[in-house]
Amino acid sequence: MDPTQTLATGSGYWSPLLWLLALVVGLAVALVIRSRGRKDFREGEGRAPFISGNKEPEQGGGHIPASNIYWGFLESMKSYYGRLVPVHTGVPTDYVAWLLGIMALMLIIGLAT
Amino acid sequence: MNATTLLLTATGTLGLAIFGLLAGLWFMGIDRVLAARMQARIGPPIRQPFIDMAKLMVKQNVVPANAIPWLFNGAPLLALASAITILLYIPMAALPGLPVLNLHGDLVLIMYLLLIPGLAMVAGGLSSGSPYATIGAQREMVTMIAYELPLASTIIAFAWKLAQLDVATPFSLASVAATPIWTLVGPVGFMGLLLLLATMILVAPGELGRIPFDAPEAETEIAGGLLVEYSGRNLALFSLSLAVKTIVVTALIVGLFFPWNFTDIVAITCCPFLAAGANILFFLLKLFVVLFFSVTLIRISVARFRITQVVDVYWKVLGALSIVGLILVMVDARI
Repeated sequence: MDPTQTLATGSGYWSPLLWLLALVVGLAVALVIRSRGRKDFREGEGRAPFISGNKEPEQGGGHIPASNIYWGFLESMKSYYGRLVPVHTGVPTDYVAWLLGIMALMLIIGLAT
Repeated sequence: MNATTLLLTATGTLGLAIFGLLAGLWFMGIDRVLAARMQARIGPPIRQPFIDMAKLMVKQNVVPANAIPWLFNGAPLLALASAITILLYIPMAALPGLPVLNLHGDLVLIMYLLLIPGLAMVAGGLSSGSPYATIGAQREMVTMIAYELPLASTIIAFAWKLAQLDVATPFSLASVAATPIWTLVGPVGFMGLLLLLATMILVAPGELGRIPFDAPEAETEIAGGLLVEYSGRNLALFSLSLAVKTIVVTALIVGLFFPWNFTDIVAITCCPFLAAGANILFFLLKLFVVLFFSVTLIRISVARFRITQVVDVYWKVLGALSIVGLILVMVDARI
């Protein structure tokens, strides 16, 4: 396969290399703009994070764990996940039972239609 | 792929970057003036965003002590560069040669590219070492997931309609723009399209992080969230990426729903330059109208949603609306 060709799926298409070229030019534009700005940066004191005057937490203590990164989504969809999570018991026989049950249901629907 | 394509891509990116930056900053200025007038304030001059950028460029760049410097400094660069690349896939004012990458990227690609500036902001926020920025990054991730469903449903509705009409490239935005969808549907489909338009009008402020979907920044609550530690030229780059994204999002809505050009309404046959000029002005006018209704009017009318409410609005209300819109467009084809 020619690595420079536009990839096509029959409906969608894109050319990764042309996008990369555009990204490189875009990065060059961004770097030129950045180079026009003030180059020095603050050293020493005054580099603590802004937390409204509160005491700075221990290193890592102020971070949200990765497991909570989607908190707002999970909280909003609580009623959905509340039903779905208990079903995931971790017991293989439960999963096999679900598989057989769904297959039986699909078979019935298939035969009925 | 030949040297001409590569050259056109490089020069096109440069040209569209200049357009996106200048037009984006002007539109941000217009937005601020109009918002001020609707709140009975005089407001800043229209050129205020340019003045802000100039001011930021002479401010000191502070990198927090416990930040990850390469990621903290690299994220604004990636945000701006990736926002610029999306302009290459969007048709504008029927100008020849646009979109620059017309047959090299489709609507699904645009949908995913729209995520990159947001992801760059998330990376920058998480690398800041600030609890506020971390909360902002978390909220930005959730907001991005939230508006994907209504956005994807809208794009599928357009592609489905074009595929049904045997258009060769139904996922191409240029194909959508060349085939105004309002003229292809009956009354039922028309109602479906109105729902999809309403959906996209409300997806825009989420994409741009504007009120009421600005929970990731929420100045009065988490002091700027994602951007709390950014200053100087890094903050300027993030602001510029927002300016470019403003043009991208409004141009996307124009391309999907209002693709007509001035010369489609009033024939100008005497001179091509006059026709092109009229089309460009008409295109900018359409961008302004979309920006006014999707950003300015909404942000002065309502207060900020909590992050859980953002998900409720996008998934439960707009998600349902956009799917109903999609179904109405499909039903219309059967009538």
